[in-house]
Amino acid sequence: MVRALVVALAILALFPVAASAHGPSRQKVTETVEINAPPDKVWAVVGNFQDMSWHPAVAKLEGQGGNDVNATRTLTLKSGGTIAEKLDAYDAAKMLYKYEITDVDVKVLPVKNYSSSLSVKGDGGKSTVEWKGAFYRGYMNNDPPPELNDEAAIKAVTGVYRTGLDALKQKFEAGG
Amino acid sequence: MRRLPRLGCALALLACVGAATLAGEPRSVSEAFVTNQTDDSLSVVSLADLKVGETLKIGGKPAGIAMSGDGKLAFLTSPEGKEVVVVNAGARKIVRRIKIGEGPLGIAAHPTNGRIYVADWYTHKLSVVDPLAGTTVAEVAVGDSPSGVAVTPNGRLVLTADRDSNAVSFIDVETNARIGGVTVGERPFGITIDNDGARAYTANVGSDDVSVIDIATRKVVATVKVERRPYAIALAGAHAFVTNQYTSTVSVIDLAGLKVVKSIPVGDHPEGIAADPAGKYVYVACWFDNVLMRIDSDKLAVDGEVAVGDGPRAFGLFLR
Repeated sequence: MVRALVVALAILALFPVAASAHGPSRQKVTETVEINAPPDKVWAVVGNFQDMSWHPAVAKLEGQGGNDVNATRTLTLKSGGTIAEKLDAYDAAKMLYKYEITDVDVKVLPVKNYSSSLSVKGDGGKSTVEWKGAFYRGYMNNDPPPELNDEAAIKAVTGVYRTGLDALKQKFEAGG
Repeated sequence: MRRLPRLGCALALLACVGAATLAGEPRSVSEAFVTNQTDDSLSVVSLADLKVGETLKIGGKPAGIAMSGDGKLAFLTSPEGKEVVVVNAGARKIVRRIKIGEGPLGIAAHPTNGRIYVADWYTHKLSVVDPLAGTTVAEVAVGDSPSGVAVTPNGRLVLTADRDSNAVSFIDVETNARIGGVTVGERPFGITIDNDGARAYTANVGSDDVSVIDIATRKVVATVKVERRPYAIALAGAHAFVTNQYTSTVSVIDLAGLKVVKSIPVGDHPEGIAADPAGKYVYVACWFDNVLMRIDSDKLAVDGEVAVGDGPRAFGLFLR
């Protein structure tokens, strides 16, 4: 019985289910957090492209160009990997900036062609921070390995956003 | 002496009628067919009141779109389904699915001969398809990963934006042969031809600019810097409108001076863009925000929007 099962599995392995051959399509993730703090105060923390110290996963940031379009930054993560990013648009009045990843190993973040925006909205003492990402999975050809498929990419980006936004909320509300 | 001007008038009139016939009568448009890639669907938008009527299930992650010369058929590409989906536009019914290549994306319809031209991202070919018979008439080898496709108004040439060759291919409609090419900016994606068939414009995703091509001489006559990751171009009146995916804007280029005169904020990740034949309005599909926005081409500002399905791309001429 066991032997038959092993043989059957081996045969299955030889003839994987014919996956429909196609390239990836772009995925999107949006995460938000409500914070009991005025929008300008929150923007003062997250609105500096050259400061990611509010994000628990970031150990170090080295950058150039301030908050000007085409400014760059390289994040070194506490896990050891690095992510190089470029600023595409910055609007202080709207409390919004847009950036893209210019270089990352898929082992660090399993995505390709990643672009993103970070914004703060709200009034009075309440803010909503929104973090949006558009990206392809880490494996651009057909039949991706599980760690580089669409689900893995969405999970990883969602994790980065959630960790950052939750820490931001705590930073403002802790002890309040 | 008096007869000559009259003859001139008559000839001019004939020329006008001839040109109008060749290019197809300029029709007014009343609907937008928006391909929603994430949602696997097609939203039919009434332009008069900016409302979605029907939503058709398509499948295969639809992206590209073209309309038949008479506006009665819509042709959608489904890259994952590896097919072109033919929709009876008035009846809102899928009438045929045609398997094509490995990753059909860009698509254009000929104004008069009934054929459609489908660019394949993976096979690097342009398929010439008879959509009524469901047969591929010819396959033309073009550059690498062709994306946008456009047909000249006189119906004689097809141009493809060959993304990974940084070039545009010229294909002769009569012979279905590639007769030449021109190097453009980096990673051209969308391609649009003006109503005179004089110039073509490519949106170059890699170099953040627009290449302006003189079709007769097959030369780039200008390169206009826009914003980050331009995707596609619409022409209306004296302006070109270019979607910039990563900055969520539409760059407005003055066609005479070939300079950017305005950057219009739109929804997140704007992609497909098309102008009505009168050039009064330009419609923009915003992929991230799931809206179709309307730009007033005189005021150069957004003056309306409508929610569509998830992930609208509308890559091609999507108005009818």
